[in-house]
Amino acid sequence: MSTEIVEMHLKLLFDLDNLLSDLDEPKYKEIGFKIRDEERLSLLRARKELLRKIPPEMAEVYERLKKRYEQAIAFVENGFCFGCFQRLPTQLLTRTKEINTCPNCGRILYWRKR
Amino acid sequence: MNLASLLLKERINLSIKPGKKNKVIEDLVYSIKKEEDAELIVSTLLKREELGSTGIGKGIAIPHCRSLAVDKLEIAVGRTTKPINFNAIDKKPVSLIFLIIAPPQDPGNQYLITLGKIVQIAKELTKKDLLHQPKTPEEFIELINQIEKDLRKRK
Repeated sequence: MSTEIVEMHLKLLFDLDNLLSDLDEPKYKEIGFKIRDEERLSLLRARKELLRKIPPEMAEVYERLKKRYEQAIAFVENGFCFGCFQRLPTQLLTRTKEINTCPNCGRILYWRKR
Repeated sequence: MNLASLLLKERINLSIKPGKKNKVIEDLVYSIKKEEDAELIVSTLLKREELGSTGIGKGIAIPHCRSLAVDKLEIAVGRTTKPINFNAIDKKPVSLIFLIIAPPQDPGNQYLITLGKIVQIAKELTKKDLLHQPKTPEEFIELINQIEKDLRKRK
């Protein structure tokens, strides 16, 4: 599987996890959006399916990071990992073809397109 | 937090051709981001819609999500020339859509505060029957500004 596809699945998984976590926020519930339980379960199923599309070792890294930090992916800006706010080594200052993790906190790094 | 200050006139389209809900959402996303980033955002927004429509009733919908593809809160507004089916909670068609995308890390939880504020403003827009009043993006921003001022006075 190409790195681009794995990266796309990881990003989608990450956004789904944020969606699930927002649903539990008291502030979100106060706003009044109604979420049906069966739909929530279907989202959890979609999450599982997505996780299966990622190579097992990467899925394991993602799940471990999520457990530890809640957010497994951190974006890179001005040479810093925005998960731990540590400066990244020179070779990680720009987007590379592989999926990289922060040498300090281990989060999966994401470079936004400009 | 002032909602009017987050609105950009180039991201307000008050004459969207009626179409399928997903297509309208997609077009609004593409006014903010392009290509792969836009696809990612659309996927997440549609997953959110599957959980239950963000059509809050009385002709207004607020599709929303967080996404890695943005680094700050981004809002696009669309008004369709004819109401469209959005599976809204009151089953009525929708003509005004506020689309919000927030970054995953969001200091001060600005995303949920903004979402709450839009719901509040949307209720005012319908209560006063102002949905179709503004004719230009500038008028739309001015109207939102005015509603916010009125809401502040009431507090």
